[in-house]
Amino acid sequence: MELTVNGRKHHISPAAGDRLLNVLRDELHLTGAKYGCGHGECGTCTVLVNGALTYSCITLVEGCEGATITTVEGLADGATMSALQQAFVAHDAAQCGYCTPGQLVAATKLLEQNPKPDDAAIKAGMSGNLCRCGTYPKIISAIQAVARGEFRGA
Amino acid sequence: MARKPKAPAAPAKAFIETTVVVEGRSEKRVVELPSFEPAAWTEAAELSIVGTRTPRVDANEKVTGRARYTVDIARPGMLIAVVLRSPVAKGAITSFDAAAARAVPGVFGVLAPGDAPAATRLFPTKISYAGQPVAAVCADSFGAAAAGARAMAMKFEGAPFAATFEAATAPNAPLVRSKGNLMENMPIVASRGDVEAGLKAADVTVTREYRTPVQLHSALEPHVAVAEWEGDRVTIWESTQGIFRVREGVAEALGIPQSKVRVIKQYMGGGFGAKNGAAAHTFIAALFARSTGRPVQCFNTRKAEQTDAGNRPATTQRVTIGAKKDGTLTLITMSADIPLGVSGWEGGPGQMYHELYACPNVRTDETFAYVNASGMQAFRAPGYAEGAFGLESAINELATKLGMDPLALRRKNFAKDDPRLKRPWSGNALRECYDEAARRFGWATRDDRRATGAPTARQREEGAARTRRGFGMAAQVWPTGGGPPSYAHVRINSDASIDVLAGTQDLGTGARTVLSQIAAEALGAKLSDVTAVIGDTESLPYTGNSWGSMTTPSVGPAARMAAEEARRLLLEAAAPMLGVEPSDLETKDSRVMVRDTDRSMTFAEITEQLGNVMIIGRGTRGPNPADVSIATFGAQFAEVEVDLDTGIVRVLRIVAAHDAGRIINPLLAESQLEGGIIQGLGYGMFEERVMDPARGVTLNPDLHDYRIPTIADIPTIEAFFVGESDAIANHTGARGLAEPPLIPTAPAIAAAVADAIGGFVTQIPLTPWRVLGAIDQ
Repeated sequence: MELTVNGRKHHISPAAGDRLLNVLRDELHLTGAKYGCGHGECGTCTVLVNGALTYSCITLVEGCEGATITTVEGLADGATMSALQQAFVAHDAAQCGYCTPGQLVAATKLLEQNPKPDDAAIKAGMSGNLCRCGTYPKIISAIQAVARGEFRGA
Repeated sequence: MARKPKAPAAPAKAFIETTVVVEGRSEKRVVELPSFEPAAWTEAAELSIVGTRTPRVDANEKVTGRARYTVDIARPGMLIAVVLRSPVAKGAITSFDAAAARAVPGVFGVLAPGDAPAATRLFPTKISYAGQPVAAVCADSFGAAAAGARAMAMKFEGAPFAATFEAATAPNAPLVRSKGNLMENMPIVASRGDVEAGLKAADVTVTREYRTPVQLHSALEPHVAVAEWEGDRVTIWESTQGIFRVREGVAEALGIPQSKVRVIKQYMGGGFGAKNGAAAHTFIAALFARSTGRPVQCFNTRKAEQTDAGNRPATTQRVTIGAKKDGTLTLITMSADIPLGVSGWEGGPGQMYHELYACPNVRTDETFAYVNASGMQAFRAPGYAEGAFGLESAINELATKLGMDPLALRRKNFAKDDPRLKRPWSGNALRECYDEAARRFGWATRDDRRATGAPTARQREEGAARTRRGFGMAAQVWPTGGGPPSYAHVRINSDASIDVLAGTQDLGTGARTVLSQIAAEALGAKLSDVTAVIGDTESLPYTGNSWGSMTTPSVGPAARMAAEEARRLLLEAAAPMLGVEPSDLETKDSRVMVRDTDRSMTFAEITEQLGNVMIIGRGTRGPNPADVSIATFGAQFAEVEVDLDTGIVRVLRIVAAHDAGRIINPLLAESQLEGGIIQGLGYGMFEERVMDPARGVTLNPDLHDYRIPTIADIPTIEAFFVGESDAIANHTGARGLAEPPLIPTAPAIAAAVADAIGGFVTQIPLTPWRVLGAIDQ
């Protein structure tokens, strides 16, 4: 079957029951999305499938035939990071960084739907992604800074 | 006659005994005295890189997905190991079929009960807790390994167990460990003064029993190791807080020299105290890698991580405190029961009761019991987070009984010196923390805000929730000066790029950034010229575990000394090039300048002339000063809204002031404060491992029923630092700060809830049920 991931077409032959997360990580070597819980509870595996926020750890890859998928590796344009990526760096929105790929994908989707989110909208949009280090205040300030147009990215 | 070679001058070395505080507990250590100690960076020191809010040096890797965590290590031909775990809390394995597991296609190896070397302590045939590893299967896919595990068809026979303190200490309790269910020499008693006299002298007393839950670390990257052998040497990639401790553990368990074990850790997805050494998954990966000749990965599933990867043990604390009418404390007593699990150490709540207040009469006793549950591990501020809930809740209730402002009560009993060890603090700005946090919080005017929380009569008629605002506070002490041994090297390469090398690890705290800043500052180099090389035992000088908030105050001084020595050598080399004495030179922005002239050379111009003559500076962490106590302090204020009908608490705001000496990077340090506060909020509000008393198994081993804070749960947080460089503690002036902010958050929130509802909740987390119970009182 065919998948388009970060603009590149891939032909894969998944086994029955393969999860999208494992295909991305093990076959396509895109290790940005992470295993955190395997049950769609933590959000470290978050990617966009046809533009929809998706927990890839509980998504069967068989259902993704022909899909367009964006992972954290697809957010930058070559060496130019997206505005959100730059803001996450400047605002220290990553401590250990393990949840960061998922947070960035969720934040990208949030701003796409709502370019000027208030605090409540940010909290609602980002509440599917856990961070055990507690970077939440910095994630909020990074998203606000992008909404204010302080960063220009890819 | 041949000339005799000159005897080399022996470098002066001296080894002395010193005291280092690890996770709040003193340890005696023999350490090597450094050959020189740089002059301390006092508050007056003019620093241009240390103290700046520079972003993390590894932030780009983290936001692009390029950072490689241990879970991302994929070696050619790598096999996956799956661990089988006991479903019963005590008993024995009655049967299993290893041959059937081996016959499953794709299975490469089986480690059955009795198969592992004794030193690994893996897979005993007797079960002592639910979730205990009992066997492992390794295969060329996770699915094949899981199929192999099912084919093992392990059968168990349960036996009577004791999963709680009460059960383990009851007469004729089932034995958790063969030597008995109590740690040796229980209880641990510590006392000063005369608590009987203190009780007689008290005008007002508070006696309460406080309970704190088992908290699970819940790092998002589970425990994971990859092992690969090359001849008689093994490389271990491990998600760990201590690469050298993993090396020691693997060498000991496998009976091989440490030099045959290499441990690598570049990025890790959180530790919080649970990843301090080699564990079952490490040994399983190493054993299978040896027997199969293939690289092997072994990781905890989320269920395993929440079941058997360490925890903060529960406590029951029976507290009595008393004071004169003017608030002068006359006694503090506390008696604690702590069920540790099947293993653990004495990280109890007692010590904080002796350290935070200048009370003359204090007595604590702690009884640690082994129970049939997974063993505890240090969890961010072990003992102190638990102790703070008891001590600070009691202080807050005492203030209410005295009719006194809890802030005034704390100021009144401020401990000018360390009251436990009866010696000065190296620095202590706790009073400034009180003042500044209270000011920013608006503590003095809190009653004006109280009214705004309540609905009007009309709103209430319309069905608005009955809510009430409350305000509370708590304070914190945490002994954290860091200490030896820690080594670092700084080398200036032939192109003038600079490496700072230390065998430490960055947990997400920012060690890479902080060490780069310290080295760049001491050298007079641009920060962008410096690369921190960490996380590999093979080539890097020793540093200890990243625990006890120790990395910055332990490794930082070693990195600074190494950079100072490299700078001295660089100036020695540059002086003849510039035709001056080294003492005429200074450095800034990777440039050596002749003082009071416009003559200068860049580092690169100097190293070009030096070619491959490499400048290498070596640094050692010296001993801590004798006869002072080193600690980080803080005060936190909380504002909450309580729904009186449902008992649901919303934390609206936390204001936190902490004193950790010099702050190397205020941006990253602020993140540490916010993160600690949020974990403390989880501890106070939601987090509680639930055990089934009938079976002794964890009922919420996941991230749904075990609830850690989400972004929607967090209040407005204003966290900042007060105080100044602690030039007595060490020559960088920095103390530790990762653990302290977690300590006072739960009791500050509990105090705010009590303020709102007029009754104290004495058990965390503050679930709606518990809050409603306190309202009804």
